[in-house]
Amino acid sequence: METHTLRSTATELATPDTDEAARTRRLWGLLAAISLTVLLAMAFWYAPEDANQGPVQRIFYIHVPSAWIGFLAFAVVFVASIAFLATGARRFDELAASSAEVGVVFTTAVLITGPLWGRPVWGIYWTWDPRLTSFLMLWLIYLSYLVLRGYVPEPIRRARFSAVLGIVGFLDVPIVYLSARWWRSEHPTQFVVEGGDLPPQMLVTMLVGVVAFTFLYLYLLSVRRRVARLRAAAELAEVGR
Amino acid sequence: MDAAPALGISLRGVTKAFGAQVALDHVDLEIPQGSFLAVMGANGAGKTTLLKTIAGLAVPTAGSVRIAGVEMREAGPRLRALIGVVSHETMLYADLTAAENLRFHARLFGLRHPREAVERAGERLGITPVLDRPVRALSRGTRQRVALARALLHDPAILLLDEPFTGLDEAAAASLTELLEELATPERTLVVTLHDVVRAMAGPRRLVVLSAGRIALDTPIDTGSEAIAETYLGLLREEARR
Amino acid sequence: MSWLGPALAIAGKDLRLETKTRDVVASVGLFVLLVVVTASFAFPTAGAGREGVAAGVLWMAFLFAALLGMGRSMAIEKEDACLEGLLVSPAPREAVFLGKLLTNLGFTFAVEVVILPLFIVLLQLRPGGGLGLLVLDALLGTLGLVTVGTLFAAMAVNTRGREAILPLLVMPVSVPVMVAAVKVAEAGFAGGMGEGTLSWLLLMVGYDALFLLVALATFHHVTEE
Repeated sequence: METHTLRSTATELATPDTDEAARTRRLWGLLAAISLTVLLAMAFWYAPEDANQGPVQRIFYIHVPSAWIGFLAFAVVFVASIAFLATGARRFDELAASSAEVGVVFTTAVLITGPLWGRPVWGIYWTWDPRLTSFLMLWLIYLSYLVLRGYVPEPIRRARFSAVLGIVGFLDVPIVYLSARWWRSEHPTQFVVEGGDLPPQMLVTMLVGVVAFTFLYLYLLSVRRRVARLRAAAELAEVGR
Repeated sequence: MDAAPALGISLRGVTKAFGAQVALDHVDLEIPQGSFLAVMGANGAGKTTLLKTIAGLAVPTAGSVRIAGVEMREAGPRLRALIGVVSHETMLYADLTAAENLRFHARLFGLRHPREAVERAGERLGITPVLDRPVRALSRGTRQRVALARALLHDPAILLLDEPFTGLDEAAAASLTELLEELATPERTLVVTLHDVVRAMAGPRRLVVLSAGRIALDTPIDTGSEAIAETYLGLLREEARR
Repeated sequence: MSWLGPALAIAGKDLRLETKTRDVVASVGLFVLLVVVTASFAFPTAGAGREGVAAGVLWMAFLFAALLGMGRSMAIEKEDACLEGLLVSPAPREAVFLGKLLTNLGFTFAVEVVILPLFIVLLQLRPGGGLGLLVLDALLGTLGLVTVGTLFAAMAVNTRGREAILPLLVMPVSVPVMVAAVKVAEAGFAGGMGEGTLSWLLLMVGYDALFLLVALATFHHVTEE
């Protein structure tokens, strides 16, 4: 039997920061700052102006990477939720919660930048196109995920309940996409930007955007996880007294 | 392994924690068949969690709960058939009659003769006259008897009671003490959580005191019960100071 | 089959409770009737294309019926820790889920059986041969709503918001099944299977099967501590 008590293990787990974690976090932050600067420069000077859409098309270098991160973040929630239910380890719950919060931020960015582009190009802010509809539903599902977390004070229950919602919500997304496609099948979407038609400079800029936003996601995620650990430490101090 | 398949309870390194909250902290506890064990401790010391872990309502973060040598995690439904649970809430549907509640639970337990089981449990607890009244209309003490009848329907080898004296008047409490004494046969294992040390001295033959999820005291109750009560109160005072 | 016995016992118990209190069917039924009547005033339910509007109104009413019924039937288990009573029995967790699922299906169907004919009469719809399709639609759509809803109701009653947050959890994830159910109902009101109706039916079957499996696999996580 190990000699150290659970309480001391909990203290270790809840330690606000380790040197390694801080270094990793700073690394992600630095990479994100550099790559986002490069992305901005490329988006404005390297990528050519779209012949039909004009300068507004450049918002895609933010819009598409945000959409990618929105999806990635929720895939992480899904995997972390399964891992939590399988192991019961608190770190998976922290990971899922952090990723959901960051994911909601990026999905919100998608839902804001989309209409900003849609208005000048399509002449409308919103259309019930399958992708738009799916992102709106994704956003709503994960908002309900965050609301649920706020409504369960006991940590174990909160972790279990939100893990179940994280699994159900993610599995629901492809079905939402399918139903949104069939639903509007009478209005086929001719606005879809196909990657194959893009000039190489645009494609490269888009890929840089995806990389830069992935660094940004990792940075925000590590900050958010630190907040979760600090909160746990505060909770422990509360209990210890 | 034991020669006889004794219906004892065995907890090894049972921990129930989530980050900072530690309800049970590496609890090792052997409760042999025929025990009559009282579990005490301050609020939040882990008494209810301990019972819930044995009853399969709570899954330990680490460690193992074995009943009759079988791991709870692996054979939950089969082991739960051996256990009767009385919680400090009645687990009864207030709008159904006592008999309807009992018959429902008899079916849930898959008893072969539900009606006979209900009659037997009713007679044993002296609630036959009120069986056809809705639970809502019964007094707290009578409800507690119905709750006990529910837990005894399948004649469980292990009986877990969580604060069964809460809200009972003196007469009801006295008859509950009597009933527990009668149920404490060498075949049956009784575990009861209490918060009144006087109750622990009237019946139970062993006392375990939990403090912050750990066993702070484990002692037989035979002679010198005043000394035990004194030790227990000392523990509580010490905890209050911390 | 060790699931069926306890599941039927639980559903039978809920039926017995309901015959005594008439809590769910009376209050939910009246509420849904009010929704239907109010919606008939609020939406253009006459003229061309009214089948589409009618289908939407019908399924909003069914959704409310399911949500209210499920919230109530789980709240009953929460009072006096009755759910713990189910969980300390030898019934497997899956059987407890199926029992509550049966109850919720029963309550919702009971309301739907009354509302659907009334709806057809009030809105002067002529489904003709589409009636069978409407019944199938109600079965598949309700099963989807109630499967996800029963799982989430077990969570919702253990939150600070109690049953009140159930709609917040159920509505976002049930959008596909609602869309499908509305599309099939529209075809049903128009007289029968239309173009794409089969796909929508299959989508509902897929949704129901997937989430039934997920719910059976995760129900113990939301009930055990």
